[in-house]
Amino acid sequence: MTLAATLRDRKVRDVLAQAAVAIGLLALLVYFVRNASENMLKAGIASGFDFLWRQAGIDVQFQLTGYTSASSNLGLLWAGIVNTLLISAVSIAAATALGFAIGVARLSRNPLLSGIAGAYVEFARNIPLLFFVLIWYFGVVASLPAPRASIGLFGIAFLNNRGLTIPLPNEAAPFGHALLALAAGIALQLAVVAWARRRQERTGKAFPVWRSGLLLVLGIPALAFIHAALATAWDVPALRGFNYRGGFVLVPEFVALFAALTTYTAAFIAEIVRAGILAVPKGQIEAAKAVGLSPSQTLRLVTIPQALRVMVPPMTSQYLNVVKNSSFGAAIAYPDVVSLFMGSALNNTGQAIEIIAITLALYLAISLAVSAFMNWYNARIALVTR
Amino acid sequence: MPSIRLPLAAAALALAATSAGAQQLAPSPTLDAIKARGHLECGVHLGLPGFSFANDRGEWSGIDVDYCRALAAAILGDATKVKFTPTSVQQRWPVLQSGQVDLLSRNTTITFSRNATLGVNFQGINFYEGQTFVVRKGTATVPKDLDGASVCVAAGSTEEKNAADWAKENGIKISIINFQKNDDAIAAYDSGRCDAYTAGIGALAGQRIKLKDPDNNIVMTETISNDPQGPTTRWGDERYQLVVRWVLNGMIAAEALGVTSKNVDEMKAKSQNAEVRRLLGVEGGFGAMMGLSNDWMYNAIKQVGNYGESYERTVGMGSPLKLARGKNELWTKGGLLFTPPFQ
Repeated sequence: MTLAATLRDRKVRDVLAQAAVAIGLLALLVYFVRNASENMLKAGIASGFDFLWRQAGIDVQFQLTGYTSASSNLGLLWAGIVNTLLISAVSIAAATALGFAIGVARLSRNPLLSGIAGAYVEFARNIPLLFFVLIWYFGVVASLPAPRASIGLFGIAFLNNRGLTIPLPNEAAPFGHALLALAAGIALQLAVVAWARRRQERTGKAFPVWRSGLLLVLGIPALAFIHAALATAWDVPALRGFNYRGGFVLVPEFVALFAALTTYTAAFIAEIVRAGILAVPKGQIEAAKAVGLSPSQTLRLVTIPQALRVMVPPMTSQYLNVVKNSSFGAAIAYPDVVSLFMGSALNNTGQAIEIIAITLALYLAISLAVSAFMNWYNARIALVTR
Repeated sequence: MPSIRLPLAAAALALAATSAGAQQLAPSPTLDAIKARGHLECGVHLGLPGFSFANDRGEWSGIDVDYCRALAAAILGDATKVKFTPTSVQQRWPVLQSGQVDLLSRNTTITFSRNATLGVNFQGINFYEGQTFVVRKGTATVPKDLDGASVCVAAGSTEEKNAADWAKENGIKISIINFQKNDDAIAAYDSGRCDAYTAGIGALAGQRIKLKDPDNNIVMTETISNDPQGPTTRWGDERYQLVVRWVLNGMIAAEALGVTSKNVDEMKAKSQNAEVRRLLGVEGGFGAMMGLSNDWMYNAIKQVGNYGESYERTVGMGSPLKLARGKNELWTKGGLLFTPPFQ
């Protein structure tokens, strides 16, 4: 083959074109990075990643990683990541539950229930999230009393506008055992469910799995927890000076952000749930009725499994939104990664480009992980065609 | 002999070029840009009574604002030719670094690491600030009373770090709640989320006025840090930095020499004090050395006033803040203000 003939080959030309675009993009990237670093050098602005190991020097009121003001900026970043993941995870779980309830309520034949659910969805979807966050924050803080007038719960937990202070056990080991008991209970229950299904398929006899569940998942672990609670000494919060000391404090910033993300996202999830349920052909439900399934069995065994297939892809975007929207916490002093790293650390070190790049990469990584999980789940529940 | 004649001619030409203009000046892109656009771009605080605050008609006032007006008067001959850009704690550095403003004049503490890593230079001190706390009356009187308190603060400020350092040093436990903006932190303090809000003593005097019930809140008098503040520029462009530095020095020198906005014409006409004459451009040609008109400080003092006049009007006894001069008094009167001679 001559050179001219090779160049005329469609495949060769495609590869060449793609290579040219890739090289061009790479060159552009290199140009931007070099240009930025040269200009920063000229302007006397520090660059590089040394700052990550320098002492952060600020205090964080709510953190689970053991961060102190003597920790490095990397430690500060980690504390921020954990707080972001924490608020995202609990908000996703709560928004899903609330969204399901509202979505199902909207389809209810009771006009009052469906009317309220519909009004809620329209209200929540059409208000900016920042507004939600601020309303919840100032609403929560304003409605709670000052520390001296705290609402006591059985004399061991105290609710005031500095947060909910709860006692902490002095030893963690007994609780570790109780957690093991819970894990064992869940595993056993899963085995029971699998066995019950096989038996039902074989013999047609149903097994009341919820009874064994109550015992294995709730009863035995609860006993283990009570035993653990009695076996260890507790650090009970006590009012000294300005506020309660000791115990663990659930700060109002967390509660407000959690409430805002949950109530806001639930409206969108409700619409997805409604769309998913309506997408199940009516014949399916009529068929379920015809074989004598009760309305709740129809919902659980026929409607929801089919609706899930429609719901999972848009649900993934909502979950990703929750992760990204958690950055609104910066507006109300919730110490998430944006507030700590892009707020405090950026200002203290001045290394804007590095810090913004790291934060960007982080959100990207979290989002890709969520999306990968949801894709896996989607593939698992997809209709198996034979 | 052409081999000698050529260099000689070149030298003569060079001499002619230098003596033709009054003086050869180092290039100053910033001064050229300010003159070309006809106004100064000044980065100020979002809103801090006494320092930089816009009233309901959008007119800015304050000691930091006054400095920018004096600089505009020195460079452009007109103190009104300033455009103020309000900047938050987080925005200030990028706004300055990117060249969006010619300088920052906004309650920014001079620190080593900022000077060394941000590509910024501090051109002198126009306010000696010290950090303290505002608390509700009857809860605490000195900083050490704050053991166990929740303290609201702006994220990324020197106060955030100072408070952590101070608490550690004194074995006091405070929980710090860091907001993105000063105003958010104050609002949270005002709503009862925090027991205290921390900032500079001068800044707090201004911010206390903005609280719902100012009389029920007190600003502690004991400070936990020293936070000198002053006009801040980018690295580079030495001639422009010279102007920024010496306009501030000039305002302080004017007070020391007794030159005020009211007597400046008289002083210019009659004063026999050599330093006054050089300051006001009667002799010495100091303005021209920086590429400005020799009237530079005359314009600044005439239109804005000396340092003391500006202080009293904005944060001192002539203002709602009623701050005593304290450290911000001339060194001859027990304060820290000192300026090198105009010589």
